Amino acid sequence: MAYLLNTHEDQQAMLEAIGAASIDELFASIPKELRLQGQLDLPPALTELELAAHLKERADQNASAVNATCFLGGGSYDHFIPAVVDAIASRGEFFTSYTPYQPEASQGNLQALFEYQTLITQLTGMDVANASHYDGATAAAEAVIMALAATGRKGRVLTAGSVHPEYRQVVATYLEHLDAELETLDTPSGALDAKALAGTIDRDTACVLVQHPNFFGCLEDVEALTAAAHDVGALMILVFDPLSLGLLKRPGDLGVDIAVAEGQSLGNAMAYGGPYLGILACRESLVRKMPGRLAGETVDRRGNRCFVLTLQTREQHIRREKATSNICTNQGLLALRAAIYLALVGPQGLREVATLCVQKTAYAAQRITAAARFTRAFDRPVFKEFVVRDRDGRVSELIQESASQGVLAGVPLAGWFDDLSDCFLVAVTEKRTRDEIDGLAKCLASANTEVSTTHA
Amino acid sequence: MKPEDLLYATTHEWVHVAADESGGKVATVGISAFAVESLTDLVFIELPEVGRQVKAGESFGEIESVKAVSDVYSPVDGEVIEVNEVLRDDLERLSQDPYEAGWVAKIRMSDEAALAELMDHTAYQKQCADEAH
Amino acid sequence: MRDARSTQLLFELSQAGRRATTFPTCDVPERLLDELMPVAARADAPPPLPELAEPDIVRHYTNLSTLNMSVDTHFYPLGSCTMKYNPKRNEQLAALPGLAQVHPYQPAATVQGLLGVLHDLGEMLAEIAGLDAVSLQPAAGAQGELTALLMAAAYFRDRGEERTTVLVPDSAHGTNPATATMAGFRAVTLGSTPQGWVDLDDLAAKLDDRVAVLMITNPNTLGLFDPQIVEIAERVHARGGLVYLDGANMNAILGITRPGDMGADMMHFNPHKTFSGPHGGGGPGAGPIAVREHLEPYLPTPVIRWHEGRYDLVNDRPKSIGRVRSFMGNVGVLVRAYAYIRTHGAEGLRNVSENAVLNANYLLSRVKHILPVPHGDRCMHEFVASASKLKSDRGLTAMDVAKRLLDYGYHAPTTYFPLVVREALMIEPTETESKETLDGFAAALFRITDEPAELVHEASHSTSISRPDEVRAARKPVMRWRDESAAEE
Repeated sequence: MAYLLNTHEDQQAMLEAIGAASIDELFASIPKELRLQGQLDLPPALTELELAAHLKERADQNASAVNATCFLGGGSYDHFIPAVVDAIASRGEFFTSYTPYQPEASQGNLQALFEYQTLITQLTGMDVANASHYDGATAAAEAVIMALAATGRKGRVLTAGSVHPEYRQVVATYLEHLDAELETLDTPSGALDAKALAGTIDRDTACVLVQHPNFFGCLEDVEALTAAAHDVGALMILVFDPLSLGLLKRPGDLGVDIAVAEGQSLGNAMAYGGPYLGILACRESLVRKMPGRLAGETVDRRGNRCFVLTLQTREQHIRREKATSNICTNQGLLALRAAIYLALVGPQGLREVATLCVQKTAYAAQRITAAARFTRAFDRPVFKEFVVRDRDGRVSELIQESASQGVLAGVPLAGWFDDLSDCFLVAVTEKRTRDEIDGLAKCLASANTEVSTTHA
Repeated sequence: MKPEDLLYATTHEWVHVAADESGGKVATVGISAFAVESLTDLVFIELPEVGRQVKAGESFGEIESVKAVSDVYSPVDGEVIEVNEVLRDDLERLSQDPYEAGWVAKIRMSDEAALAELMDHTAYQKQCADEAH
Repeated sequence: MRDARSTQLLFELSQAGRRATTFPTCDVPERLLDELMPVAARADAPPPLPELAEPDIVRHYTNLSTLNMSVDTHFYPLGSCTMKYNPKRNEQLAALPGLAQVHPYQPAATVQGLLGVLHDLGEMLAEIAGLDAVSLQPAAGAQGELTALLMAAAYFRDRGEERTTVLVPDSAHGTNPATATMAGFRAVTLGSTPQGWVDLDDLAAKLDDRVAVLMITNPNTLGLFDPQIVEIAERVHARGGLVYLDGANMNAILGITRPGDMGADMMHFNPHKTFSGPHGGGGPGAGPIAVREHLEPYLPTPVIRWHEGRYDLVNDRPKSIGRVRSFMGNVGVLVRAYAYIRTHGAEGLRNVSENAVLNANYLLSRVKHILPVPHGDRCMHEFVASASKLKSDRGLTAMDVAKRLLDYGYHAPTTYFPLVVREALMIEPTETESKETLDGFAAALFRITDEPAELVHEASHSTSISRPDEVRAARKPVMRWRDESAAEE
């Protein structure tokens, strides 16, 4: 009875007021044959003390970014989270409230969302951002569906092979039963060739999906790719890395039509993959095709500025079967955390963190490839990740052996890319120190040496 | 145009048919005052594309209030030859002058059969009285 | 008492040169940036974010938070959202580094404890559902619906059956028909009887061999258990269709009856409702689904398996619909659900539903004479009252009542949903409220119905703002702040 308030006396008084003899009678509408005989088969209840011990025991069985050194990336990163983010986001007024259906009682959340939307437009250079999606992958899928609706084209959706493979899988799942064909353009050189795109794109193509920096960490030639898309009236959807915009040109300045991102790196925990933050921003002209919640500014009856959810006729609760998306919840708490993070780092902090990522990544790449066994798979500029090829082709042993030494060395690419089965992806955030990077290089260089010489 | 002289669809669009210079029939389509009033606080209209072929009964536009969205249906068969662009920026015209300045689209009719399905003003007024009840 | 600066925007508080977070100087040998990153790809200046000091930011957000009602501060009977108390212990435990600071691509051997939690949560959800297999991947209830309908489509395609429609009762949440469309089906609406149940005659008329799935919420959005559920499921199964149960209202039936026993083939849970994940001002939720054995091959990848003494992730599932999101799911929300279920155990969960239903019936009995409940004197965990009589007698709408309740310190019920009740006020008190709170809420409703109509029309009076102009917001949408002092763009 951990969180219940009704005493036995309360229950009796309430039943009397209802005119029921027992609580059981309140369930009379459930037919007898459906009533569970006996109890659910669940483990016994735990007190707070027991639960804490139990979960601590299970937590202690895991490596974490606290007791291991994390060089893992691929859409989730061990970035620094300032204390203010947790302090504010853990206020009950934020995290135990819900969707601001009553604006008079939700100005805190609504203003925070309006500020989040503005921060995302400042970050991306796009005209308008919505109040968030589940994660980067579903934001990309919803952007593709949005492009299909906006162009009215029921044909092709092109995606670069350098887009995160899980994002491409999610887009494929979402398109499975819709009138559109997803085609992946190979990127053997580590980035999409604008000429190759121009050679295949046509007027049946609704949109092109590109990631920059891409899944391999490499930069794409977004302006040339966007020009190729626009030449045939297709939309450009760009998956971006929010922190990269401390240095890189913004999607809006590159001419992109819809920009989406994973917002985990903006003050949100890795949490084994979720909850995360799907960022989606677009041109003004596309706003009525944009899914998800939107906060808007207006005035109240006294003429004071205030905020409401707006353009709700786009959404499922009004449009029902005609809605192009069924999204209902957003990731409000994670959007709040992202907004606090962006406010804390500001323009200078964003430039600093991006620069640290670039410098440390370059250093790590140089240190790792100092061993003859390792080379870079792609000779291209990168932001905070790069692909390492193991000439011995023993990636999974390498990763396991490093993990046993407390180093989470990289993400093997074998499950996703046949031609990169001897490769792994290394990410270096601003949190990694020179000692840790040197440790990684040493750990990799010393692993499996006997085997490696026999294959040399 | 006087409301008494128009034809009406059960979905609340009005129609006025006239001959163009070449002798073809052009239907001017709008939304009845009753429908505009019951939608309240209009905020947005999506107009059909000029050149689009439509069938009678097909949705060819949408009209939105703050918390509702309604289809606008073509009452006739034909090709959309003109839309009332002014409505995009001045939705008030729909409520202030639904039968003149608030027209929605003009359709060059390919077939007149659909006209037989439409109501005259008296029949339409009866429908509205029933719905308002 | 309110800080006048509290409603200024971050951007209006910004002063060039202020800073909060700074990063360490670079400790690796620095190279010329031009060598690492081509000039053509780089921006001349960083994005024009606001410039603020840490104390500014803390005061700004702390003040903003006071403009919200929340479960921690107010009674929040928002129907269909299950706004129950969010245990503080769960927050603390979910933040343990071994659960929160874990990367999704860590080798399985380094996350055995977490995989164990998730695996066991799956088993517990299957037991509560009365179904066989679970996917924790969907990120929200609506995505759980989509996942299940995509699985149904794959299942029927496998069987060579051409099924194109999904039946959805008219009282359903809007996500149901929207999901059907997203999954490539045509949504067909089923009517309700005056008691609020599915109209079996309408079902008979619309049920044919083209129906893939019937989506049903039971207890439904009127807060009623539809006792015809077994017959409905049998009829759908007899025509080869599947039954999907929208688990939005599981808070009424934990340990009392199970969707699988009712005949459902698939369902989703809303852990942020039923298992008390905090709602976070709109999310995150989670939407794990449970299905019958014959649908298991179609579940999204990966699935967690206990095999030869260890947990691993299985990706090689040829019939799977694929992925519906990146990584494993909303693990943080799922860990809280695990903590919640482990705190309660079987008897505790049953107590949750018993008290949720008791509280709702008690409140119903207190308010029905002023706010009639069209669908009867008894309910499950929530009920839908109608302000129609107040509207015709006194000109007060459901909206007016909702706004005036804010002045009394209560969050408003859900208004104007479900669509089948006029002037609807959907009230869900949850089990984590006391009789005194419910009495206080009922007393406020009584007083409101006696107050001068003008006073109620103008409500709310005590909130930080009065009623906003939503027409203006929608006609000329302003969705971002713009710097009017500078000629930006």
